[in-house]
Amino acid sequence: MAVAIEATAKGNGGGGGRAGAGDASGTRKKKGPGPLATAYLVIYNVVMTAGWLVIAVGLVRAYLAKGSYHSLYYSIEKPLKFFQTGALLEVGIVPSSVVLTSFQVMSRVFLIWAVTHSVKEVQTEDSVLLFVIAWTITEIIRYSFYTFSLLNHLPYLIKWARYTLFIVLYPMGVSGELLTIYAALPFVRQAGLYSISLPNKYNFSFDYYAFLILIMISYIPLFPQLYFHMIHQRRKVLSHTEEHKKFE
Amino acid sequence: MFRRQKSHASERKKELFSQGATRFTLKNDMRNFHFLSRLVLSAGPLKPTPAVKHSKKIHFEIEILDAQTKKQICILDKVTQSSTIHDVKQKLHKACPKWYPSRVGLQLECGGPFLKDHITIQSIAASSIVTLYVTDLGQQVSWTTVFLAEYTGPLLIYLLFYLRIPCIYDGKESARRLRHPVVHLACFCHCIHYIRYLLETLFVHKVSSGQTTLKNLIMICAFYWGFTSWIAYYINHPLYTPPSFGNRQITVSAINFLMCEAGNHFINVMLSHPNHTGNNACFPSPNYNPFTWMFFLVSCPNYTYEIGSWISFTVMTQTLPVGIFTLLMSIQMSLWAQKKHKIYLRKFNSYIHRKSAMIPFIL
Repeated sequence: MAVAIEATAKGNGGGGGRAGAGDASGTRKKKGPGPLATAYLVIYNVVMTAGWLVIAVGLVRAYLAKGSYHSLYYSIEKPLKFFQTGALLEVGIVPSSVVLTSFQVMSRVFLIWAVTHSVKEVQTEDSVLLFVIAWTITEIIRYSFYTFSLLNHLPYLIKWARYTLFIVLYPMGVSGELLTIYAALPFVRQAGLYSISLPNKYNFSFDYYAFLILIMISYIPLFPQLYFHMIHQRRKVLSHTEEHKKFE
Repeated sequence: MFRRQKSHASERKKELFSQGATRFTLKNDMRNFHFLSRLVLSAGPLKPTPAVKHSKKIHFEIEILDAQTKKQICILDKVTQSSTIHDVKQKLHKACPKWYPSRVGLQLECGGPFLKDHITIQSIAASSIVTLYVTDLGQQVSWTTVFLAEYTGPLLIYLLFYLRIPCIYDGKESARRLRHPVVHLACFCHCIHYIRYLLETLFVHKVSSGQTTLKNLIMICAFYWGFTSWIAYYINHPLYTPPSFGNRQITVSAINFLMCEAGNHFINVMLSHPNHTGNNACFPSPNYNPFTWMFFLVSCPNYTYEIGSWISFTVMTQTLPVGIFTLLMSIQMSLWAQKKHKIYLRKFNSYIHRKSAMIPFIL
């Protein structure tokens, strides 16, 4: 779901910086940011692209070294946490749909810290690898898309990749996330993680186990909406580009 | 060759005359001649006259376009100058029955504000043809209904929890533990709060701008009912822990609560009977009642007193969910207060600028 929300945010003009190139969302204003802001955004997007490339390379190297794809999380744990948390900086930059971007970043950060980091036992699960791969590929493409857009030199391949690969990556990411949360559930219950029970001085109680189940259930209404929205966006963007090509 | 257009008679005449003059030399002489003769026979004065001078009564023609598709739905003609938006909606319903007047929103331009029913066509018309965009606003409910639902829900829900219905709490635990008096007091205060709101909605407040969407009603009710369930659950729970500072904390906050309730009540009464004297016709001024003296310090004392009530209730029950509810309400009310404060500042030149919107000296 984190993958899909950010994918939708793409369609709505969210993400790291305004794209100068024509995008499907015709509501976006054409006036770009000033030179200083553009420089900052370009640097930010380049750094994020590089970061996620580091994670991708780290995964490949660890796989080749170990010979199996299990427990690869440990080899990229630190850069993953750093760069995904760094995406919080995006929230202020986005000109529109702050709600959508912040929602997406918060859900990613939640998964990284409140589930994978907090429940050590799930770190060896294969579902973690599933969503890490999905996020890595998506983010590399997304940040390079923004970089090229800001420099007004967007290769069609990147645009195509951004609006097509989600068809596979999104369900992959969602499955990875859901399986990870599901795997974490018994350990949360056992340890009473992040839960407060009555009686206490402030008459408050919180059951993290129930909260995680609620989160999993919330994927059900949100997933189809976002997915079909992205498919709709894809049709708009890619057919728009074809029209442009006809006139050139 | 000669396109038929829906425009005013004088404009049409002008157009056809000019077309006839230039194309007179073209091939179809018979048709031209025939047309020209008709034109000459029906021609009036050659200089274009505005519609105003033609007839004593000014008639407007209103073109209704769908706000989303921009397609023309219909054209209402012979609309008199004294007609209001309300009349337009009725005419639209007669012409196209699927547009119900109570669900229709008319705008002068897409994305502009919706025109209120009492606005006359003359005041918004730039010419004798007016273009309006229509949107289906969905099922509408009156604000009174919203308020009544919003306040009755919490009242009943809290009582349900207070009576400790077996399916909510564990039966044995409930029977075993004696309840601290503050639980009864909290129920009493909560009920007073909402009963007062209900009575004020029915007898004091004047319903201002009629309606809102059904979706809005559901969202507001979900918020209030949801939070009331949450706080009622903890306060009436068998494992409820009374406040740390004991009776002193309870008594002080209870008195504060009652004072804020009284203050809110007097302010609401005052706001519904504005005094029409002098320049500050719409802004109430403080009188002998000490609760109204808050008007010297803030623009929206009703919000001040309401937040005061909820803070007192939080302190009285020492329950975190109540605190969260209070925080959310305060944020919402401060936004409303800021808006109102800005309107007052703009409206009244002699307005005292050292006043704050909601919290004295701070906000």
